[in-house]
Amino acid sequence: MSKINNPLAPKTNRLLAKSTEIKAWVRQLLELPPDTPLTVAELACRDEGCPDIETVIGIMRTGEPIQTIRVHMTMSEVTFDHLAEAVSISSSKSASSSGHFSRNS
Amino acid sequence: MPISDRIPVFFLSGFLGAGKSTLLNELLVDPSFSDTAVIINEFGDVAIDHLLVRQGKTTISQVSTRCMCCTGTTDLRTTLFDMYSAAQSGLTPRFSRVIVEMSGLGDPAPLINALMVKKTDNLSLSDSTVNQAFQLSGFVTLYDIINGEISIERHFEALKQVAFADRIILTKTDLAKDPATLSDIAVLPQTLKAINPSAAIVDRQKTKISELFSPRTYSVSDRREDVEGWLALEDVLATQAMQENANSHSKDSTHSRHASGIRTFSIIHDEPIPEKRFTEFMSTLQTAAGPKLLRMKGIIGVTEDTEHPRLVHAVQHCISDPVRLAAWPDHDRRTRFVFITNEIDPKPVHDLFSAIIGGAAASRKREQINLCQACKQCILRLLFLFKSKRREEL
Repeated sequence: MSKINNPLAPKTNRLLAKSTEIKAWVRQLLELPPDTPLTVAELACRDEGCPDIETVIGIMRTGEPIQTIRVHMTMSEVTFDHLAEAVSISSSKSASSSGHFSRNS
Repeated sequence: MPISDRIPVFFLSGFLGAGKSTLLNELLVDPSFSDTAVIINEFGDVAIDHLLVRQGKTTISQVSTRCMCCTGTTDLRTTLFDMYSAAQSGLTPRFSRVIVEMSGLGDPAPLINALMVKKTDNLSLSDSTVNQAFQLSGFVTLYDIINGEISIERHFEALKQVAFADRIILTKTDLAKDPATLSDIAVLPQTLKAINPSAAIVDRQKTKISELFSPRTYSVSDRREDVEGWLALEDVLATQAMQENANSHSKDSTHSRHASGIRTFSIIHDEPIPEKRFTEFMSTLQTAAGPKLLRMKGIIGVTEDTEHPRLVHAVQHCISDPVRLAAWPDHDRRTRFVFITNEIDPKPVHDLFSAIIGGAAASRKREQINLCQACKQCILRLLFLFKSKRREEL
């Protein structure tokens, strides 16, 4: 059956949809409970030699400092594999609360 | 001081070209806003916006050419403190409302954080004064029905501006005439509700400005959960940045939040310009740059009418007709253009300007070329064509 394109349907924002996808990947990778708040933002990167924009994920566990995971690419470029690498870097740095992943790493 | 006694502060946001300066101009000639102080924040290396806003007698305008969301929260708090102190000491008229016009590229999160009262020990006098004197009362975002959808699809700042708003104003609805556009507008509220379910969405043509800036209580908890998350994340990132700066002994606590592809530059020209020439320059640039010309504003001295400068605006694909001003807004009679572009180098734009404005009359017969998307090569190619024409004429 062909898909009906409803011209009156609200349009889905590409950035919001991607944000939702990234949150789902982070939950899966870190086995987070569904009620742990997550936030995803796209910011300019301050680190020298990095791409222009980075995607930053904040994990807000109750009673703990916010953990940040940084992926050095735009939100739309982030894939599950990129995130998995950033999460593994974050996990390996027990003394640090943030993980970085860049395409060059 | 009870909350009701605090001076309400409203943010006026909207992506580049959404109509913020137009709204401000309407607002400042409205007698009911005579006691309103305005802070105009421009993202550009030459300030023009403040010249284009008509100032009422009791209006205070403060201008920063640095982007507030990049310079941290201190600029806004310092400006508020300075304005309050000046009014309290009688140096300037008292005011009972503040409107902060954000840069079109402004990220709301650090600015909202700046006005959130936090219980912290050892507050400075200025921080304590700002906390007690001012209250965040509203966040008004203008959404341009022509370019708004592209903006929120491509620019995260534009998406955030919609998400933080408690009032979303649809602008340029008067330009919608054909059935397809009218149909798109009918769907818009649903699309925007998906980003911000709690904001009131109104048509600029059907709304009184005074209603947009009537005192109320702004609460981030009324917005979708992303908004609180962005604010919390902002706090963490600011702390991390301060620690990084402290570790590197850097005195500069600012950083750019915008992609380095986004840049601002200006062109200043001392002599008046033939009107046809600047029209030619603008249309050529628009053709070459397209959506990568995020914003352009200019005040232009024209050869044919030196006492009445022309005001020009461009937003992505759209260039508005030049407006003839009654007089120069200040003593500076030079032509000034300010550009905000994405991935366009200033040099070819400067060269194009020199080729068209500085050269002999270019041929009116324009060569047909297949332009690719906005890029440096296109502008260079146009520059080459103009120079070739000029050589032929000579």
